[in-house]
Amino acid sequence: MESSKRGRSVISAIFIFFALSCFNPISTTQVELSDSDTFCVSDHYIMQSYFTTNSSLDESEFRSFLRLQQCSENISNEDVPVVAMLQQRDITGEGSHRHLLTSIKLRSFNSQSQLHEVVIVERLPLGVFADPFELQSLQQRRAFRDVSVFGDTDLEQPSFRSNRSVVEIHVDVSETGEISVKLPLHARYQPIGESGYSRVEFGEPDLFLCSRLVPNEEHEQRRCLVLSIGRSKTETSSVVWEIPAGIRSHTEYVSVITFVAAVLSALSILVASVLSSKVESCKNTKQS
Amino acid sequence: MSRASDKTDEPPKWMSFRSLLVSSMLLRFFLIIYGEWQDAHMEVRYTDVDYIVFSDAASLMASGESPYKRTTYRYSPLLALLLVPNSIFHRSWGKFLFSASDLLVGLFIRMILKQRKVSEKVCTVSVMVWLLNPFTFTIGTRGNCEPIVCAMILWIIISLMKGNLSQAAFWYGLVVHFRVYPIIYALPIILVLDSKLFRSGHKPPLEDWTHTSSTEKRTFHLKSLFSRERIMFGLISGGVFLACNAVSFYFYGHEFLHEALLYHLTRTDPRHNFSIYFYHIYLHYERRFSAVEKLISFLPQFTVQLALVFCFSQDLVFTMFLQTVAFVAFNKVITAQYFVWFYCLLPLILPWSRMKMKWEGLLCIVLWIGAQSHWLLWGYMLEFKGLNVFLQLWLASLVFLAANTFVLVKIIQRHRFSPLFGQCVSSDRKNVTKLD
Repeated sequence: MESSKRGRSVISAIFIFFALSCFNPISTTQVELSDSDTFCVSDHYIMQSYFTTNSSLDESEFRSFLRLQQCSENISNEDVPVVAMLQQRDITGEGSHRHLLTSIKLRSFNSQSQLHEVVIVERLPLGVFADPFELQSLQQRRAFRDVSVFGDTDLEQPSFRSNRSVVEIHVDVSETGEISVKLPLHARYQPIGESGYSRVEFGEPDLFLCSRLVPNEEHEQRRCLVLSIGRSKTETSSVVWEIPAGIRSHTEYVSVITFVAAVLSALSILVASVLSSKVESCKNTKQS
Repeated sequence: MSRASDKTDEPPKWMSFRSLLVSSMLLRFFLIIYGEWQDAHMEVRYTDVDYIVFSDAASLMASGESPYKRTTYRYSPLLALLLVPNSIFHRSWGKFLFSASDLLVGLFIRMILKQRKVSEKVCTVSVMVWLLNPFTFTIGTRGNCEPIVCAMILWIIISLMKGNLSQAAFWYGLVVHFRVYPIIYALPIILVLDSKLFRSGHKPPLEDWTHTSSTEKRTFHLKSLFSRERIMFGLISGGVFLACNAVSFYFYGHEFLHEALLYHLTRTDPRHNFSIYFYHIYLHYERRFSAVEKLISFLPQFTVQLALVFCFSQDLVFTMFLQTVAFVAFNKVITAQYFVWFYCLLPLILPWSRMKMKWEGLLCIVLWIGAQSHWLLWGYMLEFKGLNVFLQLWLASLVFLAANTFVLVKIIQRHRFSPLFGQCVSSDRKNVTKLD
């Protein structure tokens, strides 16, 4: 009797386990977008469309949003799907102002196709920012076709006061199917820590291959093919930027010594002024 | 600057004021042209980032929008208004305007010194300290608006020296609206408007350079604080200040109040700068400062300002100079452009200094520039090499404060006290006539 009771409870547990796993939200391939899917947007920038209805920079929300962007007419996919290979991903430079280097090669790219612009959606980690004015002047110098920054672009706030931002870059694909982008980034002031450095990690950008904005029935539309999405946390070694940060253990004595220095300086000036004006009035009483 | 050595009062022809002015003008013109070339051809721009901010704000204003739509524009709408021709004529209009103000400051310095009967040679050397100072000519040509503020301050001094009270008050109200810091001059100006010496509409007697001061230290009467001149000055300048703010508020609302005024009063920037407070502010940035803490940090600044005013107020120009140096040194944020605020007053006090260039003068210059360069070195390591040198940078800022204090104390010790408004003209001590 006991063994059959145990057997029944094991079977029910297994059954419940399987039932629960069916409801597990991780397997959402039916809801979110994945590679080689297509979608259409009606704005110049994909992120522009996204921010009209959403406000968070959450990855899965973005993918769900794109899934809902249906194209008004179904165009058959190319025979051989385009594949993007990330050739290089690096942070170059020194100090607070560096460049994020991204090199991509497109395999099976058809230069005659309507889709000839790569859109890179770079989700910047907390701790760095891109200067919209600098990017605009780069755009004028034809480094990119288009570029825009979304999210928090306050250039002066330190890291823990600001939200994240996203940079969307549009680059024309060359004949060989290669793209190289150098995005200038700047470090924010980091939250204070123990080690003296703050570690900022970069994942991979979301990549899309898009067409130009073309008029299509009622409104303009831009057709995009997803090349790579959702790889913001890489499995391989990530790109890391170590930014100097204040050290917590300094706090007490820095405050004390700062005030002592201010008081000492103030006193010296006070004493010098009083003595000097006393000397002057002594001189005057001597002369009169 | 000893008077005894002025046997040859006339400087050589090449050093005449006119040739100095012309060569300064040409230098600035050339630098503006060069700046345009560098901006177009090199990675590092010559033009200051602030100038681009002003220009953008001015073009926004020209198209009828608020200049405050431009992020980091934190000035009066008047500045954007002055730069509207940038979008109409040429983008360098502003630089020419600022450089012209810069030259005007040179002219005003000469006017003030001449009014106080400083000899030609000493006068020209003093003017050279402003016109040929590398910091000065780069600041205007790079597009920084400080020369305009300096010109206004000097014009206020000239107006006071001429006895033109309402004009001085008008420009004072305007300059405080433009840039908040000149509010520190309110007390010394009020104190110097002693009704025994200063009557509105009459040219007050000026204490000149050749005269040894023998004025009695005036005892301060509370009753005389509310003299007619003082009240007039307060009312006119206060009225102008409020009117400017009211008009700006009418056009641009809360954005103006917040960006142009409140920001400067509550600014605590944790990013590295010359101030000794920057690391303290950064380490505490995650939590707000209490009112007591803010008060304590303001105390050294406050006491120094009061002490300087009450010890030296009769020598108005000297007081203003000392106040400005101290204000900058004890401020929560110090950027290099603030130095211009006292550079324009330095030539006005040099003729009264007993400090010799060898070796005391040279020592002061070397120490001050040395402390700055030392700080800049650590700043470079932090910003361009990415090393954590916050502690060393903070220590460098302490050294800079020490250098500022040393130079200030030395200047005080070597200054020949000379009130702006003095006894009647006679240079013969025996025949001093007192005013009633």
